[in-house]
Amino acid sequence: MKQQSRDYTKPELIACCGAREIRDYDVVLVGTGFPTMCANIATHTHAPNARLMQESGVYDAQPKRPALSVGDPCLNPGAAMIGTLVDIMGMFLQAGWVDVGFLSGSQVDKYGNINTTAIGDYDNPKSRLPGSGGANPIGSLARRVLIIALHDTRRLAERVNFITTPGYIDGPGAREKWGLPADTGPEVIITNKAVLRFDKATGEAYLATYHPDTSIEEVRENTPWDLKVVDDVHETEPPTEEELRVLREVLDPSRKLSAYERRGYV
Amino acid sequence: MTKVVTMKEAVAEHVNDGDFLFIGGYICRTPFAAIHEIIRQGKRELTLTRSNAADDFDMMIGAGVVKRFIATFLSLGFFGLGRCYRRSIEKGIPHKIEVEEYTNLSLPMMLMAGAMGMPFVPVKDMAGSDLMNVKSFMGDNKYKMIDSPFDGSPTIVVPALNPDVAIIHVQQADELGNAQVWGIGGDCQVGANAAKKVIVSCERIVSRDIIGKDPSRTIVPDFRVVAVVEEPFGAHPGYTPGFYDVDFTFGYQYQQASNTVESFQEFLDEWVFGLNSRAEYIQHYIERFGYSAFKGLQAEFDYGYPVSYTY
Repeated sequence: MKQQSRDYTKPELIACCGAREIRDYDVVLVGTGFPTMCANIATHTHAPNARLMQESGVYDAQPKRPALSVGDPCLNPGAAMIGTLVDIMGMFLQAGWVDVGFLSGSQVDKYGNINTTAIGDYDNPKSRLPGSGGANPIGSLARRVLIIALHDTRRLAERVNFITTPGYIDGPGAREKWGLPADTGPEVIITNKAVLRFDKATGEAYLATYHPDTSIEEVRENTPWDLKVVDDVHETEPPTEEELRVLREVLDPSRKLSAYERRGYV
Repeated sequence: MTKVVTMKEAVAEHVNDGDFLFIGGYICRTPFAAIHEIIRQGKRELTLTRSNAADDFDMMIGAGVVKRFIATFLSLGFFGLGRCYRRSIEKGIPHKIEVEEYTNLSLPMMLMAGAMGMPFVPVKDMAGSDLMNVKSFMGDNKYKMIDSPFDGSPTIVVPALNPDVAIIHVQQADELGNAQVWGIGGDCQVGANAAKKVIVSCERIVSRDIIGKDPSRTIVPDFRVVAVVEEPFGAHPGYTPGFYDVDFTFGYQYQQASNTVESFQEFLDEWVFGLNSRAEYIQHYIERFGYSAFKGLQAEFDYGYPVSYTY
């Protein structure tokens, strides 16, 4: 019987939700911050044979502190391989070897499309965001795409105003029409209020679990589309003692994850 | 004949107004000494490219030397959005740069095609996204949709890129330019070899014999290189494996300084225009932050098996 803890923060819960999506022997292409933390919890608990890589060229890094970017110096010592962008994004991702792509999004819509390019009109944006980076190819080509986002009516959208990274685009059949590889696409959106999964028939995200201090009503109120609720909807399972121990003692002793509380992940 | 020159000479001779530059780096090995020199010399109307641009591109945009940007991404990493990039795009300060949007798959593939002498290259990303709907200065040549000549399937092809000049920072090079790196590669090798001319900035110049002790590390051979500049601490505030760590404190200072036009200008006056060379930069860094801060960034040593190729 797994020991569940009552003493945890919201970012820790989110990180554990992400970790649980990773299966043993998965090859995982991770972005910075949250995704890396999630994937590392998995490799230290239920998925010891999962392998992580960063687009910058690093495979199976053994960082001594949480990496603050995909080019972080702590990713170099101890890695099994360090190559280049062409190696990771071309030889591994484009060639079809990546099981899980792990992204976070500024704005995510009900089809799992992500906008990290601009808020407002593209030519005269209200906010210019960084752009695709590795997100578009990861979202296009990884078999299962995991997305982390903040849950409010600004960050979630019925339709993003710019599709930087395709999810199910405009619904069923769209990825196939555009020639994206079969059996790829978003698997889950993990937010600070809930876990949304995708109905592969409609391409739409639905409510799978809601976090312990929220409710179905609160989640639906903060979702700007008519969020469908699955029949067996239930509360998100809290972090286990073991997940928290790994997170706090092994991966993040300086509690870098708490920075996400300041960024609104509460 | 040695190609060793100062950064001032390398930039004056090989970087022209209006040039298309590849600038290597990935927080790792960013050629900041060259970037400061380009700003100091007031180069104009440059087109820049690299996958995952950061504070260096942001600074050049803020300093007004950039006209066009073949982009995948620009941010200050842990410190958030690029302030100068935002001001340029959102408010036209100092002017609005033109941006052609690609990704961290398609852009390195375009540089690889350029390096390999291929006219274009198929890529499997961008499909179905709005990256296909926004075209800037490359117009319809941003990409083409074709039917694969082999199986008829719809295929996106993107053009090869051949920058006028590539500037990279590496751990060590010899006097003729054989350039060696270790650690995160980014798109440095394809970017350098795609360019017509390569400027190599390095932490140390070593003999040709030392290069030959581990030739697998060489990413650009000497015949492709036009200038070699020895610039210790040349990637700061980025890092160079085996030499010094990333300087988060300085990264934060850049974020704060770049928040407003005025404080950004003060930052340039202090760290770029007020100094003549990287040697003066190091001296100024030590005066401002103390020798212990400088020393604190230096790498530790944890050697593995040395390699050997001899029988």
